Amino acid sequence: MQSAIPNLENRQNRVLDLLKANSGLIAVFLILLAFPFIVALLNGQSFSAVLNNETGNAKFLQGLMIEVFILGVYAISYDLILGVTGLLSFGQAMFFAVGAYVTGIAFKKLGLGIWATIGLVVVAGVIQALLFAVVLPRVKGITFALVTLGFASVFFIVVKTNELKDYTGADVGLQGVIAPAFLDTNKERFVLYIISLCFALVVYLVYRRFVDSPTGRVCIAIRDNEDRALMLGYNTFTFKLVVLIIASITAALAGGLHAIHQPIVSPNIASLAFTVAALLIILIGGIGTLTGAYVGAIVFRLLQFYLDKWFGEGANFLLGLVYVLLVLFIPYGIVGTWRVHSFRVKQGRQYLARLLSGGAYQPVDAEVEE
Amino acid sequence: MGGFRETILNNRARLIIFAVLFILFFTAIRGMDTEDWTITLLRGLSVGAITFLVAAGLSLIFGLMDVLNLAHGELFMLGAYVGWTVYVRPDTFMDVLTFSTIIGAGLVLLPLWRYLYSNWRPSQSMANIWPWIVLAATLVLLFFAIREYPLSIWDPEDFTQSPGAFSLAVSQGMLVLPEPPNYESIPPAVGLGALFLGGLLLGVALVGIEQRKLAALIETHFSWRAIVMSAGLLILGLIFFWFNDPITEYLLNMNTAARFFLAMAVAALSGLGLGALVEKSMIRPLYDRPIYQIMLTLGLGFIIIEVVQAIWGRPGFGLPKADIFSGTGEGCPATNFSELLENQCSTIVLFDGRVRTYNEIFIILIGVVVLVGIWLLLQKTRIGMTIRAGVQDSEMVEALGINVRRVFTFVFALGVGLAALGGILAAPSIGLSPEMGTRLLLLALIALAVGGLTSFPGAAAGAVLVGLLQQFIIKYGQIGINLPFLDEPFKPTPPLVPASTVLLMVILLLVLPHGLFGRRE
Repeated sequence: MQSAIPNLENRQNRVLDLLKANSGLIAVFLILLAFPFIVALLNGQSFSAVLNNETGNAKFLQGLMIEVFILGVYAISYDLILGVTGLLSFGQAMFFAVGAYVTGIAFKKLGLGIWATIGLVVVAGVIQALLFAVVLPRVKGITFALVTLGFASVFFIVVKTNELKDYTGADVGLQGVIAPAFLDTNKERFVLYIISLCFALVVYLVYRRFVDSPTGRVCIAIRDNEDRALMLGYNTFTFKLVVLIIASITAALAGGLHAIHQPIVSPNIASLAFTVAALLIILIGGIGTLTGAYVGAIVFRLLQFYLDKWFGEGANFLLGLVYVLLVLFIPYGIVGTWRVHSFRVKQGRQYLARLLSGGAYQPVDAEVEE
Repeated sequence: MGGFRETILNNRARLIIFAVLFILFFTAIRGMDTEDWTITLLRGLSVGAITFLVAAGLSLIFGLMDVLNLAHGELFMLGAYVGWTVYVRPDTFMDVLTFSTIIGAGLVLLPLWRYLYSNWRPSQSMANIWPWIVLAATLVLLFFAIREYPLSIWDPEDFTQSPGAFSLAVSQGMLVLPEPPNYESIPPAVGLGALFLGGLLLGVALVGIEQRKLAALIETHFSWRAIVMSAGLLILGLIFFWFNDPITEYLLNMNTAARFFLAMAVAALSGLGLGALVEKSMIRPLYDRPIYQIMLTLGLGFIIIEVVQAIWGRPGFGLPKADIFSGTGEGCPATNFSELLENQCSTIVLFDGRVRTYNEIFIILIGVVVLVGIWLLLQKTRIGMTIRAGVQDSEMVEALGINVRRVFTFVFALGVGLAALGGILAAPSIGLSPEMGTRLLLLALIALAVGGLTSFPGAAAGAVLVGLLQQFIIKYGQIGINLPFLDEPFKPTPPLVPASTVLLMVILLLVLPHGLFGRRE
């Protein structure tokens, strides 16, 4: 009697549940989708101005947001290595820069199409992850950080040498990367905005799924206590390798998007300072929280932009000060601190409810990650 | 003999590495003339000595407290700039010394406030708020008090008054200091009083912040020593203030060598003080969160670079050498050491090559002195024993009732002091620029990784190795290497110099993950 109908209901419920569980994410996505139109409206432009890419505040802010998405994806890849798996690496800028340079060279020198370029970037990402993996089983902790710093500085030096000037442009960087017409940052800003937004969303979903998967759980175990994970019979090297490959490909793709958007590849993105930027972003957002990378990227980019605008040369000083104060006083970052506080708020609400109903106080289970 | 055999077998990778390094070194030497390789060797040792001064502190700090101090390069740079100020602008140095002594006179009354505070228990919310208010007010007061202070200083914006111009004037022996200014808008007593009060209130605020949580430190003794010390510093500060001009005059007319040694001492001491301050205020709250310490020191490095750029300006400049290292007159270049001391030559002829006295002899000399001094400190003194024990197991040392935290502060201060000494020592040969520290930090980190992270002799060996490698590559970049299968001599390009040291590190760490002298964990 009740054959197919409950099954269908069940499936509908599941979709509904999924939507409900991700309501925050969907809301943010829709707001970001509408963001250029809202800005246009506030500036007295019509909606068609956004679609036709007319110059104005809306277009400028879209550009800024594309940078935020790129920085966010770059930072989330670093968060996977440092925050989730607990590997301290100083070579993240190299992951990003390799993607940017490969894209630039593929478009400018080799004249490849978009899919071939993406394939090339992915291959380059895998190769550099394997390069890091060569030293991974030998060196641990700080020494691994130093070796990766070494790799990254060699790469930085190599792209700046005059011998490779034809390909990398040495000190000046790769000027005038010619992207396919539909990705042109000046003429098709809105398309690029949507693509970056979707890219950031997809990366976030993949990462969240990865961290929630059994593999991701083992990575967290490695962060918390590598010896115990080893004792439990996990080959920690394999898990670290997987993490490195995922992070490297993601960062390289972000680098490729950066090369298309700018469209200049400057050697600065290979320097240690750019790795530090990733560190700063996930520190602002909250280490190991994934969403923190995007929140941090927004705060970081806006902070950098407005500090530069208001203070000029003194901006770096203030950025350093913000950094030190964050480390000392807000160690879990915005998202991490918010989670701790929302937990306390929940606790307080339950306490109140119990008090009113006359029951005994029972604390809610801890669901806060580090 | 089984033990011997085992030692050999256990260390075979290490022995092979040593053998390969020696073979490389001798092949490198054979490709050069005698004069070339002596100079290259000495230059390598000189770079090694500077690197060692930075790496030694890093190694001690990392070994004892597991803090990788990434601001070390910037502290090195700061040492160079402080030393430059003492050497080139003694008047500015005296002014800064005066007002810091008077602020310090107020600050050393700190134990007194602890005593008073233990008799006054405000409510928790009060205790949480008032120290920050006092601190903010104090900082405002100090800002105005220091701004009103008649400081005679350079101006990076104005070319004739820029640090570079003063350096040039000193090197030509025509230094003219600007007229010393005086208190203008307010009477001197008010200005000095405000400085003293600022120091006093700073102490009050710090005690409040320190005691806001719980009654951790109850001072039951009324400290007379603090009052005596404060009075002493105050009198010293007033003496500095009233006799500012004669003292400046004396410093200016002093033998340049003595002034350079004074600059070295001041740089090292200010490094010590700054190190203690950084450890106590910033590193200490973070001992439970190791990765955050690395990030904190990174941020600190950025701040120091910006502060230095704001005070001394962005462009780099030189530091003239003291007269005993720069004579070029009669009897120069010297052919032996007694002649060198007599004529104060800038160069000396050794093995047919002209060796610069300061760069290639004096720096190495200081490096060796520091090496021996630290080694004696570690091996022969009680605190050295504690440090060595702490490197092995600091929790155990703490459990044995030794105040490890105090040793931490001492080691951090010592490390920063050594880096600052390295900075002023390197300044006459490599010049001053805001980027000088970052470059050296990379070199020191490589030296550290090569030598073994926590090993003190390892830091020395790694520094020398890195210095030698770097200088030999630079030299071969000039003369070229005759490689087989190549028609023209192969000339390593300048970017290969840093790349070669990094490659050395990577290869060595792959063979020996714990470095040359590191211990297996």
